[in-house]
Amino acid sequence: MLNAIHRELKGELTDFGGWEMPLWYSTGSVKEHLYVIEKSGVFDIGHMDLLRVKGKEAFNLIQLCLTRNISKLGVGACGYSMILNEQGHVVDDTIVYNLGKDNLGKDEYILIVNAAMGPAVQRHLEQHNVFQDVTVTDESGCFSKIDLQGPASVAIIKRLLEKGRGTIEGLRYFQFRGDYSNPVSEIAFDGNIPILLSRTGYTGEVGFEIIMPYGKTLDVWNMILDAGGSDVIPCGLAARDSLRVGAVLPLSHQDIGNWPFVHTPWDFALPRDKEGKFTKDFIGSGIYDNPLSSYTYPFCGFDPRKTETHGTSVLWEEAPIGTVSTCAIDMAIGRMEGKIYSVASPDKPASFKPKGLVCGFVRVERPLEPGAKVTLKDSRRSIEVEIVSDIRPNRTARVGI
Amino acid sequence: MKSFEELDIRDDLFYAQTHEWVKKTGGNARIGVDDYAQSSLGDVVYVELPSMGTAVTAGASFGSLESTKAVSDVNSPVTGKIVAVNEALSDNPDLVNTSPYEDGWIIEVEMADSKELDALMKSDAYLAFLKTLDPVD
Repeated sequence: MLNAIHRELKGELTDFGGWEMPLWYSTGSVKEHLYVIEKSGVFDIGHMDLLRVKGKEAFNLIQLCLTRNISKLGVGACGYSMILNEQGHVVDDTIVYNLGKDNLGKDEYILIVNAAMGPAVQRHLEQHNVFQDVTVTDESGCFSKIDLQGPASVAIIKRLLEKGRGTIEGLRYFQFRGDYSNPVSEIAFDGNIPILLSRTGYTGEVGFEIIMPYGKTLDVWNMILDAGGSDVIPCGLAARDSLRVGAVLPLSHQDIGNWPFVHTPWDFALPRDKEGKFTKDFIGSGIYDNPLSSYTYPFCGFDPRKTETHGTSVLWEEAPIGTVSTCAIDMAIGRMEGKIYSVASPDKPASFKPKGLVCGFVRVERPLEPGAKVTLKDSRRSIEVEIVSDIRPNRTARVGI
Repeated sequence: MKSFEELDIRDDLFYAQTHEWVKKTGGNARIGVDDYAQSSLGDVVYVELPSMGTAVTAGASFGSLESTKAVSDVNSPVTGKIVAVNEALSDNPDLVNTSPYEDGWIIEVEMADSKELDALMKSDAYLAFLKTLDPVD
């Protein structure tokens, strides 16, 4: 739908799971990355898939197939979760939305899954469906998704809401309003465009994901750019990737995939109580039954130099201990006197000017502590990086709006 | 990246197939990467610079450009010794994008044999070569 726009804006296009997507626009990925942290950026995320799970037993099927304990997920809330197979390997990651009951009294949930993963996740859910009244519908082709991320997004969204059709007042991180497929959705954009608006995103910054009827994609894209003026620029996949790494979020099939989902920075997607025990059974809940074989950690380097993402070894005390799953540059951060600052850090030194730092994830065969130094080695170079517990400081995702 | 018509390929320079340009100044050769290279790379965020006095060989790499997309070698189109390095690129690597032929130059080489320039392309030959690489928009 937006392909012509991407060309007109001089997008550097690439193939992404069968979709032609912009890597960056004419402003370049560095400026796009910084814009999302300081003002806002708009992303065409129409390639994601959407499944609607509906029925009296929708809760049971989702509770069985997702790692998240959704008994605590209220109506109007959404949550990040993994979908594992029986071996505890990741099928996909997802955000699950609890829409509550429809007018027939049936529970309704939406799962947003990764590009081209709709059919595979639908198959996975159907294979494990031992319940009576529940259907899984792939709504790919019916909807589109545009993300607006960054501190200026709040004011831009407010300008676009149709009068009397909803508000974002009090909307908290991981809450949503409305349903794009409901013509009388409780929240709509100008021109009576029903939307599902969630306060979520993949950048680590305050922002929104907007799901709209497919035919309204171009209208919404243009409305955002008009309403945002100089506070918003279109951003491509490269900025999305570098922003998400700085926010310590995984990329499907790259940082999470067909290997045991244990000892990762995303353990928070597992349903643990205060003692660390699982609060429910789910497909893959025996993930600790097999011998542990890998540990995933975020790392951050000391300058912007990066290695290849694929085929790079991780060395510890000169011995190979694993591989790099993601290697990118967060252009908004830099180190001064041993500490990482971001352009958004309120305590940054007056002379701070970020040059960017290499960052990403390693998958290694032994545990490492934050502060440990490892070497990334590809065919071209060796660089020393530090294992860290977080990457870009002072992210704004959770600020009050 | 830029379309073929938008490319700035200058007449007073020599070009290598690996997209470096050379400007002859007396017996020295000033070297950088051209508009095609900077436009294909995307934003350059780090330049790995060689040291003064390093010997370079025609066709061999002397440094690299780090863009948000990839790491690319920069080759010297001529043989000789490095007599100047553009230190401004350490703090402002984006000069390679914004001013590839002027402020974004990378090194200057004292040429061992200026006849090596004859093996490089002039702008018209280089433009014809670029046409064979990329479909024209």
